[in-house]
Amino acid sequence: MNAPRQLLRIQCIGCVARFLGTPVQRVVLAGVAHVQTPRSQHSYGQLLRPFHCSAVCFTNRQSQTELEKTAEDETLKKDKSLVTHDDLFERAARDSKTKADFNRVVDVFSKKDIRRRGHVEFIYAALKKMPEFGVERDITVYNKLLDVFPKEVFVPRNFIQRMFNHYPRQQECGVQLLEQMENYGIMPNVETKVLLAQIFGEKSHPMRKYQRIMYWFPKFKHANPFPVPHVLPSDPIELARFSLTRIADDLDGKITIYQYPSTDITEAGEEVTSPHIVGIQSPNQRSLLAKHNPCKPVFVEGPFPLWLRKTCVHYYLLRADPIPPEEKVEEEFDPEMIGPEQSLFYPQRVELDLERDMGDDFKFDVDDVEEGPVYAMCMAGQGDQATLSQWISGLQETCPILGQIPTVFRLESGPRELQTSSDAQQTPEQEVETDQIIEEEPLHSRRVNQ
Amino acid sequence: MNLNKLFVLSRSVNLGRNLFAGRVAQKGDCLPRFQSRRSIRSSARSLVYAKDLFLGKVNKAEVFPYPEISNEELEEINQLVQPVEKFFSEDVDSKKIDHEAVIPPETLNGLKELGLFGIQIPEEYGGLGLSNTMYARLGEITSLDGAIAVTLAAHQAIGLKGILIAGNDAQKAKYLPKLATGEHIAAFCLTEPGSGSDAASIQTRATLTEDGKHFLLNGTKFWISNGGWADIMTVFARTEVVDKDGQKKDKITAFIVERAFGGVTSGKPEDKLGIRGSNTCEITFEETKVPIENVIGEVGGGFKVAMNILNNGRFSMGSAGAGMIKKLIAWTSEYACTRKQFNRSLSEFGMIQDKFATMALNAFVMESMAYLTSGMMDRPGVPDCSLEAAMVKVFSSEGSWVCVSEALQVLGGLGFTKNYPYERYLRDCRILQIFEGTNEILRMYIALTGMQYAGKILTGKIKEMKKGNVGVVFEILGKKLKESVVKTVDFGLTGKDGVVHPSLTESAKMFEQNAAHFGSTVEGLLYRYGKTIVEEQLVLKKVADVLINLYAMTAVLSRTSRSISIGLRNHDHEVLLTNTFCKDAHFKNNFLLTQLQKNSPENNDANIKKIAQEVLAKREYICSHPLDRTF
Repeated sequence: MNAPRQLLRIQCIGCVARFLGTPVQRVVLAGVAHVQTPRSQHSYGQLLRPFHCSAVCFTNRQSQTELEKTAEDETLKKDKSLVTHDDLFERAARDSKTKADFNRVVDVFSKKDIRRRGHVEFIYAALKKMPEFGVERDITVYNKLLDVFPKEVFVPRNFIQRMFNHYPRQQECGVQLLEQMENYGIMPNVETKVLLAQIFGEKSHPMRKYQRIMYWFPKFKHANPFPVPHVLPSDPIELARFSLTRIADDLDGKITIYQYPSTDITEAGEEVTSPHIVGIQSPNQRSLLAKHNPCKPVFVEGPFPLWLRKTCVHYYLLRADPIPPEEKVEEEFDPEMIGPEQSLFYPQRVELDLERDMGDDFKFDVDDVEEGPVYAMCMAGQGDQATLSQWISGLQETCPILGQIPTVFRLESGPRELQTSSDAQQTPEQEVETDQIIEEEPLHSRRVNQ
Repeated sequence: MNLNKLFVLSRSVNLGRNLFAGRVAQKGDCLPRFQSRRSIRSSARSLVYAKDLFLGKVNKAEVFPYPEISNEELEEINQLVQPVEKFFSEDVDSKKIDHEAVIPPETLNGLKELGLFGIQIPEEYGGLGLSNTMYARLGEITSLDGAIAVTLAAHQAIGLKGILIAGNDAQKAKYLPKLATGEHIAAFCLTEPGSGSDAASIQTRATLTEDGKHFLLNGTKFWISNGGWADIMTVFARTEVVDKDGQKKDKITAFIVERAFGGVTSGKPEDKLGIRGSNTCEITFEETKVPIENVIGEVGGGFKVAMNILNNGRFSMGSAGAGMIKKLIAWTSEYACTRKQFNRSLSEFGMIQDKFATMALNAFVMESMAYLTSGMMDRPGVPDCSLEAAMVKVFSSEGSWVCVSEALQVLGGLGFTKNYPYERYLRDCRILQIFEGTNEILRMYIALTGMQYAGKILTGKIKEMKKGNVGVVFEILGKKLKESVVKTVDFGLTGKDGVVHPSLTESAKMFEQNAAHFGSTVEGLLYRYGKTIVEEQLVLKKVADVLINLYAMTAVLSRTSRSISIGLRNHDHEVLLTNTFCKDAHFKNNFLLTQLQKNSPENNDANIKKIAQEVLAKREYICSHPLDRTF
């Protein structure tokens, strides 16, 4: 059924009810009941069904066999216990934890008892279990959970109820559910609103919470100018490309894939894996590197962490020390070229002994900390020197001067691989190697002929 | 000292009787105190008008009366104009030239026979030896075909101008005769792939051979008009020069390069939007051997040569634009008066009338500016008209674009088709805003040159003011007070001994008001920005716009005053045009000058800059789509 229409209908009913009082409302609602599909085989309380079943309920599953039985057992055995529902989820998820399993548990609970006894506890338990099942970011699941609440029962019917906190525990539970949605950044949808209106009424606390979320969420949706997608690319090269462009906020920066990951088996039968090497360099960086004084070393440093939501990746820098002030060469301009009256088309500067007036000087006094130039960045499958030398030799293709510059590798200990859940295995030897800081003799890397 | 100087200066302007006052005053530091000495100084004529406007001075002797040519010259030019006009109306098929993107040889031969390839080359070298004014007059007609106009201009306004103005006698004797007849065609090679408007980054290099008799030229030049068929090229290249301190430095040198020297290859002609018949291509020099006697001027002095060529070649665009618009007015008015809509002819509709008024005004102003400038350039002495020429170029290129577009609009859909020439004119005329220095660059040139000039003179005063010199501050306060009480500014243009005809008094007053306001605004800008004014491009743009308007007002006032005085035909129409234009320009200037005030609410520059920065940071339009939603 169309959710907004349903919402509208509830409001109509509310109006009618206000005029005619409760008995009529019952009748009207009973009429409504025929529109909805009763989903239970229980003969008991046919009239009551619609109050407990919303328009957005899922159609029933055919087989809920075992779980259903355990649930029923539970109700029989420890009816008054408060900790039953956790077990229900535990039991359901013995072998797998998926959305389907979660939904099944919720369905079982909803069907188990017409009165939905203990639904508040159940919802709390379910909320807690959601991350485990990986459904914490799924709006349909939240709606399904909300659906567990019996409908119409908690809607205040007179001004006294409205004035006081009507069914506080239930309302609190509803707010808690919305809050969890909020924390995970899930925006409620119209269905949520329909459910809330059915369950708690138009002016309840959960409804207010919903309205607040709907006020603020859209406003903050695009607050982050550098959004990270929820699902990161699984291909390490794509991930590296994404991360590098994210760090180097330069649209001119060019990504180069120096090496694709591959596994070869040598004649001796050894398995040789070559890790991926992805680098980024902008034309400006390239020209800076070309101007680098070949007597001064450049450093390969890293790994530095970059967090992308829950994933941590590592990158390496090629940088140099800042040029000491005495060695700086001021670029000299030929006054004929840029001076007044001289330049071909227009003067690049005027020769006046007048500074900018203080009243028009809006510059901030910023203490600039001199930093050395960063010439390039890369991400690699492995952080050992051999891999990174390959990156350097790759860079030499565009910057031949790099062959004459001593390159020092200053690699700190740290994870060598991208810490994605899938490939987190490292050989113990590698770890040992990385444990101490490797400070090598300046290595004159030769130009690689390729 | 300073106070004194200014006092003398302002009094001399106010008196307005001494015609030499302005010219002397621009010497600034050596301003003489006594009348007698002043007249001696003024014997060295240095012509400046526009620059002095930056100081709030109107050097009226320079622009009033409107320059005239002698009767003999007029006779001569009229005799020349007739056959050229006939040739263009009968023998030039512009549509074909545009379509086939080439000027047929017989058309070129016709142009050569008319002597149009050597308009300004002296008669002793076989040219027509015409003055700038007469050159501008011919430009009115040649502009009827954009491709031909550009070909001719590339040949003589820039291509051979170097030899003409800076070449020695031997070079002139060797090259000019053949260039004058059109046997050889010239091109001007400055632009390079890496240096469009940034001429300082020229990469083409000329190295001296060991025997010291030749230069070897290597490099590539881009967008060379006439590049495909030029035989003689003025090429600018870097050479190594030992300067005073004994250090080696790269300097630009100008060379005359013949195609026959070898090593010159030209690329495929560019396929362009407009002026399709003209030839534009890339030229590559490879070890081209240029004899040392082909250096124009001296080695390392190429920059000045290039500057002089470019700065003074632009004025003719005014007359060319005016010539074109005059033709368009004739054609479109024919249509507007015969075409009927709603039982009325188009000419009765106000919005159509508006278009014709715009065209007439623009043509009138362009013409006035162009001939005023050419007249100033033709005067004896060392004319410094680069600013004026640049203003003519900016005003006329933009005016032409508007007018051609309006003319096309009068015809509606018909104008959009290739059956009519309007779309071709529109395409051709687009280049005017781009070549010979883009309008943006010229605006910078106009504003900065003037700012530099004014700054040199005003620096002392401003410094005193900043130091808090009580005398200067009081003087300025007094001046402001006086201005607010008297309200009228008088540069002596009107009234007794005035140079403007009384029927234009109102317009002249508006001009004077603007000029005075402009002077004080410039002073304020110098006070506020000092030498960092170079970075304030939006400010400079407004300064340039005001100055262009002021110069245009001067030109129309001067021209119309003369027309009334000597009783030219339809001078009452000129009065109407002048008054209309001046009023319009006056209010535009007022607005611009208000924007230039500090903290002016009319000024939107900060926002404009910010918008551009935000867009450019992302290199795209960054707004969300209006249909996007967040929930």
